[in-house]
Amino acid sequence: MAIFDTQVVVIGGGATGTGILRDLSLRGIKGILVEQCDLAHGTSSRFHGLLHSGARYAVKDPEAARECLEENMILRRIAPNCVENTGGFFIQLPGDDPGYADKWIAACTEVGIEIEEADVRNLLKCSPALNKRIIRAFKVMDRTVDGFRLIRANVNAARRRGGRVMTYSRVTAIHQSGGSVTGVELTNMLTGEKSLIGCQMAVNASGPWIGEVAALVGLEVNVIKDKGTLIAFNHRLTNQVLNRLRPPGDGDIFVPHGAITILGTTSIAVDDPGDTRPECREVLDLIEIGRQMVPELEKCRLIRAFAGVRPLYQQTTAVSGRLVSRNFALLDHRQLDGLDGLISIVGGKFSTFRLMAERTVDLVARRLGVNAPCRTAREPLTNPVPKGALKRGIKVLGLSVAQRAAKRLGDDFAEVVRQAGHDPQKRRIFCECELVSLGEIEHVARDGDCFTLGDVRRKTRMGMGTCQGTFCCYRTLGALSKYPRFVVGDRLFLTDFLRNRWKGITPVLWGQQLREAQLSLGIYFTIFGLERMK
Amino acid sequence: MSCANLFGLDNCVKCTICVSHCPVARVSDKFAGPKQYGPDLERFRLEEAGAVCPSVTYCTNCKNCDVACPSGVNVSAMICRAKGELVGRHGAAWRDRLMARVDLLGKYSRLSPALINWCAGNSPIRWLVEKTFGVSKEMTLPRYAGQTFYDLFSYKKKTGGNVSGERIVVYYPGCYVNYHNPGVGMALVEVMVRNGIRVLVEKFNCCGLPLISNGFLSEAQKYARKNIQQLRSHLDRDYRIITSCPSCSLTLRREYREVLGLVDAGRLSSYVQDAFEYLWCMSRQGELDTSFKSVPLRAGYHLPCHLKAGGYGVPSREILGLIPGLRVHDLDAGCCGLSGSCGFKREKYANSMAIGWDLFRSIKEMDTKQVITECGICQLQIQHGAGVTVYHPVQVLAEAFGLGGYIRNY
Amino acid sequence: MMCRDFDLAIIGAGLSGLIAAAKAAEMGKKVLLLAKGMGVVELSTGCIDLWGYCLEQPEEVCRRPVDEIARMVGINREHPYAKVQDVLEESMRFFQRVCSDNGCHYLENKGDNWLLPTAFGTVRPTYLVPASMAVRSLFKAKSVLVVGFKELKDFYPEMLVRNLKKSGEFDPGCHMKTAITGVGGGELTPNALASRLEQPDILTGVISRVRNFLSPGSLVLFPPVLGDRRDTGVALKLARGLECPVYEVSNIPPALPGQRLLKTLLHYLKVIGVEVIMGCKATGAEISGGHCLRLDAEGAGGSIKIRSRAFVLATGSFLGGGLEARPGYACETVFNLPVKAIEGNWWDKDFFNKDGHPFSKFGIVVNDRLQPVDGVGRVLVENLMVVGASLAGCNYPVEKCGGGVAVATGYKAGKLAGEVGR
Repeated sequence: MAIFDTQVVVIGGGATGTGILRDLSLRGIKGILVEQCDLAHGTSSRFHGLLHSGARYAVKDPEAARECLEENMILRRIAPNCVENTGGFFIQLPGDDPGYADKWIAACTEVGIEIEEADVRNLLKCSPALNKRIIRAFKVMDRTVDGFRLIRANVNAARRRGGRVMTYSRVTAIHQSGGSVTGVELTNMLTGEKSLIGCQMAVNASGPWIGEVAALVGLEVNVIKDKGTLIAFNHRLTNQVLNRLRPPGDGDIFVPHGAITILGTTSIAVDDPGDTRPECREVLDLIEIGRQMVPELEKCRLIRAFAGVRPLYQQTTAVSGRLVSRNFALLDHRQLDGLDGLISIVGGKFSTFRLMAERTVDLVARRLGVNAPCRTAREPLTNPVPKGALKRGIKVLGLSVAQRAAKRLGDDFAEVVRQAGHDPQKRRIFCECELVSLGEIEHVARDGDCFTLGDVRRKTRMGMGTCQGTFCCYRTLGALSKYPRFVVGDRLFLTDFLRNRWKGITPVLWGQQLREAQLSLGIYFTIFGLERMK
Repeated sequence: MSCANLFGLDNCVKCTICVSHCPVARVSDKFAGPKQYGPDLERFRLEEAGAVCPSVTYCTNCKNCDVACPSGVNVSAMICRAKGELVGRHGAAWRDRLMARVDLLGKYSRLSPALINWCAGNSPIRWLVEKTFGVSKEMTLPRYAGQTFYDLFSYKKKTGGNVSGERIVVYYPGCYVNYHNPGVGMALVEVMVRNGIRVLVEKFNCCGLPLISNGFLSEAQKYARKNIQQLRSHLDRDYRIITSCPSCSLTLRREYREVLGLVDAGRLSSYVQDAFEYLWCMSRQGELDTSFKSVPLRAGYHLPCHLKAGGYGVPSREILGLIPGLRVHDLDAGCCGLSGSCGFKREKYANSMAIGWDLFRSIKEMDTKQVITECGICQLQIQHGAGVTVYHPVQVLAEAFGLGGYIRNY
Repeated sequence: MMCRDFDLAIIGAGLSGLIAAAKAAEMGKKVLLLAKGMGVVELSTGCIDLWGYCLEQPEEVCRRPVDEIARMVGINREHPYAKVQDVLEESMRFFQRVCSDNGCHYLENKGDNWLLPTAFGTVRPTYLVPASMAVRSLFKAKSVLVVGFKELKDFYPEMLVRNLKKSGEFDPGCHMKTAITGVGGGELTPNALASRLEQPDILTGVISRVRNFLSPGSLVLFPPVLGDRRDTGVALKLARGLECPVYEVSNIPPALPGQRLLKTLLHYLKVIGVEVIMGCKATGAEISGGHCLRLDAEGAGGSIKIRSRAFVLATGSFLGGGLEARPGYACETVFNLPVKAIEGNWWDKDFFNKDGHPFSKFGIVVNDRLQPVDGVGRVLVENLMVVGASLAGCNYPVEKCGGGVAVATGYKAGKLAGEVGR
């Protein structure tokens, strides 16, 4: 058994966990983050990618709204390549309570959220897909954020200062001695190997799995596991975030995300934190509601559906779903349960992950007797890609590929461009739908925490476009033959990847996506005969 | 068109059929193919209109992608719009600006067609033009006719050549017929008159296709608006608009609406007809004079890409099939490669010849000295690459009517 | 608007439509083939799959596909093969003759399935294969050399070899090697590469470079890019130059063998006078008294009306565009024929389910004369025949029978149309 030693073990590789790891590293505290699967595999990548301006929560939860607003400004500043400055609109349709608009305006003003009433005619001109019967529209500072990128940026920043990450490592036991956490036992999900990390403290930032992790030491932490399903359209229906100007509900947010549009979400309580299978019924419901804002929605091609499980914190079990606060809570198990060295961070939203990390690490630092203040709001998370590098990238990779890659790779972009400059093969576009070059794929594949095609996908967007990996997963696997990690089982890599994609395709399996599926079957059954491969 | 599914973007299943039918991608490693520059990048252009590479200009706008696509994606329209974005942002070479204005070139040529033709055949001058403007010195330039079609037609009208008739059509000759090959236009007029149809001709604008293919969309729009305006009164009188050039026809019928987004072009499109389409409809009603004399000609037929792209078949083949003695063999060899102004450009000349190679070989294998094809540009390329005589089918038809003088050496 | 008259009008340029056109035209009919785009035949392997695996042991490759089909239709009368069993072997011979006459030879393996390698390193059973792909006794090879091209991004010799070793019992002494060669230039599409390999000097260069990797008695496998003409001349020249048997393996599209098949058949249709109109979408039909009177079609430049004594619907399944799916129901796009579908989920949760997915079987139900029928077997349109992937009851991704069904049904439709008025 491999044995490691550190000060703090962070459990969970989502936005909060990686945010905590970065914060720890910036304060000079040694930390190892452990994640049962790949980074960002859970809730942090299964949301609509909206960086809230706070306006959505202004009426119901001004405190959360204020936090959103502040974090929105901070993230924009520290992580420019992860955040896209799209702006957003709140739209009031016929039938929506006009009284709510006034209440909402007052609440936004109270919190300090900038809103500006927009000229409906102009808006319709810019976004012809919108319902022509809009009554009022307000511009807000909504932005979009890429969960995958942000988490990777967190990790990169932590690694530069000695932070460590172990993926595919599930916590199978938390060791304690004398009422204090002493270590964490891990099982590698790919190899089955066990390892042990000795530590002074453990932070449970495992999102919807928080109860499962707490149960390892016999504690009970109640979260409502609230499944939210979202759907991805093949192209951009709008260039701004669209919100419905009414109390938050299902299917009322459209978010442009790269080349696609995401519409979300639903809200259903589930028992299993891993229950992320979207259902056809939910998709149809979302379209039905979404049509009110974008009437031609039915004609737009869906490429997939996906679902995330929100961990909503509750002290009692009386309320559920949207009624539960989106606020977060920091649970100090020394105070609550008398177990020293274990902290749980629950609830919250993606938008406020940094603040959640700050509060958590404040407590950790206090316990460890570290005085260093939090610097995560000031230190840049990623640096803007220098103009010169972008220019060179455009020359080498072409405008669109370079622009995409610069956003995705951030600080690593210059290096990928340099290599592509030397080797024309690396300029080849492997994922033609999402414009991912071989250079980019190889760059992430070389990375220590890339074990499957799914990991490559999460880090590059390879296979996330129109064809959902039908063409690119085969060629990516072929090109990765030079990496020993990727030659162990071609069939398994390919079938796992396609099975995973299939999970999100089946709830939207009609129209063009059924044609796409038939093409995919044609390739993998008829041309390759993969279903019977030994 | 639905704003939700512009140009059939959502229909694309990435099957790659367009790539395997793209003549340019087949011969060049500079052009990533219609899928990449069309639907793949179109998704990104919805966010950032400038998502396009300069190599998109290698697209010749032959529209084989549109014809091959089993999903109804309007690939070529996406690419034309992307070229427009590129030119709008980064400008275009003077050469391209000039070559896109075939009408203007034609007008200037009137100063002295003979001198220009002499220059076009003069190697040192061509060498200089290649060095300074990038116009390939290898490519045969089209010769300017001594008199334009408009001149010839109005002369004929004055001398009483074009009169009477119950039926009236408007003939849109296009720049190539007007400036380079007025014989085709005159043959068409004579054929129509022979069948008791009165032909109206006005001086029209260039259809704008050369502008569209080179990315000058706003200029093309101006041309299109003028043409639509000018043709409107004829549509009001229910006159058909007859064309002899498949490219002009496709532009009037489709590109005005699809690429240039002109809503009022919808009505126009239902009035424009290929000359042979018109004649075929007459023949079905027994109104076509079919007392043809024998034309003992053995010729290859080349199907122009833009006629194929029309998707209504090859009307001329039906009519030519009625002519005794005429043996037409389908060359079945794909794109000629010249594609408007593309093959004249220094950097694209080699591609253009490589694309045309199959066609040249097919002509050689058939061992014929005559080829029939509708498109002026294809005619030029076939003359250049295969060294044979090329006729427009309407010239053959005129010959069959005994109108004489349109066909030589058979 | 143009109006045209024909004896037979076929909608769809897939394999079944092309075969129907060829057969009817050979029998002297005036035939139109109308399609909105190229058929999916060019996305295929270029081989004709007839029946891949044993009925009782679905993992066992079937050795006598024709007999197995005869047994299968005894059990499953719903399968399209059940309607065309009378012409099955005849249609295969017809297909072989047409292709051979036009320079693209297809070989049979003495009634057995071929077992051919794929670019992923799997082996797949198939029935009729182009000469350039007909690997005989793969597993008896003494040594195998897999050659890739550095200009090509969709072929990985190492991956092929890695998986091929697992795909069957090779001779323990069999040596497998890989080589990468090139033709010059940056990235090339398979078509660009194939077109370059047609040039003698480039091919000579490839031969001399590959020779260095070659051990005597090797079997040489190439990606499916050996030449873009109809014939398989490039593969032959390579074999002669390398003095070894040379074959193409099947790969993801674009791949040349499927394109060659399409080219061959389209060429033949032109030779025998079939009118082919591409880029023209059938938009609707006028049906009166159970008889189709007229078909309306629209191209980018103009529309046409087609009158014909008989019609063939060969528009394919969902991928081909013949069927269209909406949430919960499927419809047929030209004649609005009833589509046989199932209640409940159209798919299996597992993409690689060995029984495939229910939606593969969706389609139009026909009688023995390929006429569409309703739920109780009444003919819906008496002068219409439905062929190929548009038909219900065929699970071609797992049965490996897409090509066979297309050829046999297309052939029968062409023959039936050809016999009218005789």
